[in-house]
Amino acid sequence: MEKEQLAISVKFMGELRALLQRRTLTVNLPQGSTVGDLFASLSGNYGEPFSSRVFTHSGALQHYILVFLNGQNIKDVGGLAAGLGDGEVEIVMLPMFEGG
Amino acid sequence: MKMASEWIPTACGMCYVGCGVRVLVEDGVVVKIEGDPNNPQNQGVMCAKGKSGIMNLYNPHRVKVPLKRTNPKKGMYEDPGWQEISWDEALDTIAAKLDAIRDEPQKLYVQAWEITGDCFYWSIAFGSAFGTPHLMGNASATCGKVIHPVEFFSGGGFHQQPDLHYCKYAILVGTQFGLGARGAFNHITMDMADARARGMKVISVDPVASHAGSKANEWIPIRPGTDTAFALSMLHVLLNELGLYDASFLKHKTNAPYLTGPDGRYRREPGSNKPLIYDAADKQIKVYDDPTLRDPEIIGGGEGGRPTFELLKEHVAKYPPEKTEEITTIPAATLRRIAREFGEAASIGSTITIDGVTLPFRPVCVDWAKGPQGHAHGFHQSWPLKLLNIVMGAVNVPGGILSTAAAGKRPHRWWPEGGTDGMLEEGGHILPLPHPKAFPGRTPTKPFRIDLAELFPLAPHFHTLLPITAQQKERFGLTYGIEMLFHMPTNSLIGSFGDIKLVESFYQSIPFIAGFAVEINETNLFDDIVLPFPSYLERADFVSGTNLLMPHCGKDDWLWQIRQPVVEPAPGLRQPQEVLMELADRVGILGDFYRLINHTFRLKDSYALQPGQRYSINEVIDRMTRCWFGDEHDLAWFNEHGVIRIPKDVDEAYIGPFLDARLPIYLEHFLQRGDELQGVVSQMGLDWDLSDYKPLSEWMPCPSYHAIKKGQYDLIAVHYKLPYVYGSFGNDNPWINEICERTPNAYNVLVNEDVAKTKGISDGEEVWLESPATKVRVTAKLTQCIHPQVVGVAGHFGHWSPGMPIAKGKGINFNQLLPTDLEHIDKISTALDHCVEVRLYK
Repeated sequence: MEKEQLAISVKFMGELRALLQRRTLTVNLPQGSTVGDLFASLSGNYGEPFSSRVFTHSGALQHYILVFLNGQNIKDVGGLAAGLGDGEVEIVMLPMFEGG
Repeated sequence: MKMASEWIPTACGMCYVGCGVRVLVEDGVVVKIEGDPNNPQNQGVMCAKGKSGIMNLYNPHRVKVPLKRTNPKKGMYEDPGWQEISWDEALDTIAAKLDAIRDEPQKLYVQAWEITGDCFYWSIAFGSAFGTPHLMGNASATCGKVIHPVEFFSGGGFHQQPDLHYCKYAILVGTQFGLGARGAFNHITMDMADARARGMKVISVDPVASHAGSKANEWIPIRPGTDTAFALSMLHVLLNELGLYDASFLKHKTNAPYLTGPDGRYRREPGSNKPLIYDAADKQIKVYDDPTLRDPEIIGGGEGGRPTFELLKEHVAKYPPEKTEEITTIPAATLRRIAREFGEAASIGSTITIDGVTLPFRPVCVDWAKGPQGHAHGFHQSWPLKLLNIVMGAVNVPGGILSTAAAGKRPHRWWPEGGTDGMLEEGGHILPLPHPKAFPGRTPTKPFRIDLAELFPLAPHFHTLLPITAQQKERFGLTYGIEMLFHMPTNSLIGSFGDIKLVESFYQSIPFIAGFAVEINETNLFDDIVLPFPSYLERADFVSGTNLLMPHCGKDDWLWQIRQPVVEPAPGLRQPQEVLMELADRVGILGDFYRLINHTFRLKDSYALQPGQRYSINEVIDRMTRCWFGDEHDLAWFNEHGVIRIPKDVDEAYIGPFLDARLPIYLEHFLQRGDELQGVVSQMGLDWDLSDYKPLSEWMPCPSYHAIKKGQYDLIAVHYKLPYVYGSFGNDNPWINEICERTPNAYNVLVNEDVAKTKGISDGEEVWLESPATKVRVTAKLTQCIHPQVVGVAGHFGHWSPGMPIAKGKGINFNQLLPTDLEHIDKISTALDHCVEVRLYK
């Protein structure tokens, strides 16, 4: 029996908003999907320009990628393994702060 | 707002340090400014800049109402034809321009550098909420481009500082630390005086004997752009001639024992991919974090590969002092003596007990800052200087080099952490923002950004490239341009780039420019809309300087202070944070803006800014102070007390022994990033210099070195700082001007006396100074306090804006001399080469 689908509302901020040329997106994923699954889906859709900026060489999120799941930083709710539900995912690519 | 005759605590804003001050206000007029004796940031003392702040507040040339340009023609000497307009018209115009590029946010360029207060963080959040990648978070074309990424992967914090409480021997290379510059300036200046009084030796290695050289025990003039050779030669003497290094530290706290193969890459365990180490205790090869590891081998390693330390030792042997003397002009005997003194003063193996905690004691350090960074190979000019501290084990321990603001436990915890290959990867910073780091770097890819950030996978700074690349878009496959610039009041036109003609052309190419102004400086001359920016004595800020990035190190109290207005802002002025909130509201990004402000300042739960709500800056700061320090420490508490002080534990002051991560001596990841970049630039058909992608530094000369050798030019011009001048900020101040006029080196150019004689140039004579970029008229000040091959230019002068009548026409702007092209950009850090070949003649 086919799993029920989740409709994930994704909002992009920071450099990703310009790179992907969109502010929002709806992604359909199976029930039980995680934030990691969402990123895998986005990598599939947007390819190397997305994944090269978002992931480190070891497959972790770059330190300048900030993800909020229903307003909560995913670092506080399980990281990429956090389960998706109804609601919104905000993905922010921040600049590294500078000095000098 | 307090308006009675009283002393009001606030934070100075005349430079980025942000000293704690008390301001005497009588009948609404500021009559005196003093240092706050209760504030650890400056311990009650002030500098000349701070004292002169009163003159900036009452500067009759300040901008106090929004202005619009009526002359569409833009240029360095074009009169903009300012017309006063209402705030509504100004913000309507800016919002309309933002709306027009809403779906292509990359066309917005934000110059966010306003580090005396909140606006740096607020404008980064604004630009990120809008969606542009073109956010400029620094001001200089050199400073900060290497020190921060290096410090975060080899110390854990934002910047470095000698431990003036315990250091016995400090070598300052291209910096005037504690004597003429740097964070927590007034605090470290007193610490430096105390350290020298108790016998700490200071060696200044610098082309110019400026404030640091004049106070040092010894000034060693060095040819500009040869710091790599100096550092590698010092390493050679220490490691190969004297055998002085902290073997235990190298074995257990660095990647010195990591085994490498013939390709220079780590040997790794199949499966886990972890780097391998040879354990001499049981003659076994193990992964770096094997719990049975007891005696990692740093020389030898057998068939398992060669430890990186062995490669380093072998590598630096190519730089004996006799060879580097020809490069640096530092006599071999001098270098050997300095290396021996440094190595012996390190007291390797000794310990010290502080507050009952026993720690390694290494009372030596090499400190460097702006000077070594500003070169075509700036990363490798700087990195081996840090290595000198690492091989002595003198990092984040008493007496050594300390990482600023790297760790803390209160009001919340922040701490550097290990990561990839067991190496220090995550820097510590009190704000949860991505820190600038060069390890392990990013994957290079075809650029989308006009500053070509994607081709600099180890750099955090990119803005210096914009005037170069914005006019060669097709070459890099870019199909759009910058259409709008929004800037803070920083004078980037003359301070953030090089060749002024190229910079003028870049600014002319941007269809719409809006920005803040304290006074109409040279950058504002290109504005279409000018927004007035309050004086620091009229402002309210939660962040009031750089004490969160570059505070004093050691055991002295941690602090947080806020800035409050001490006088009613002039009519027509608004708090800049409120202006940004209104702009965000007008362009429909207020909720996103709040999300990023909440994240930046750790505002949670009931303290978080709520979408759809509007706040005054006082309401925002009140939420911030209560969220961080408890409801009892609200804005009213801070307005009364100015500063909160929190004692530091030993492990916060000296994090080295408590850090669960290794420091690098060998940059293995440079090889992989270089290979990846080669693939990208080959695909793009670009001729790109990849010679900097080396795990061990080589000395690579700057273009000026070749130009001198070819005889095209005979001198090299360098820039150095003055303690009473901060960028071009505050230059239009009569008190600062008076100091500059009475100080022989401020508005004049330093020339070696003997060299001047051969050219027939006398003291005080006007002469031409010509670089490949431009030719300017300067006044020569003859001195013995400069390397004979060098011309020294101080401060940030050379103003021509009619809005700065006191500063106009005085001194010169150094940056205009700099050739600005990819050949002069460091391919690792993006620093612009700041040693430029020149001719000096009548």
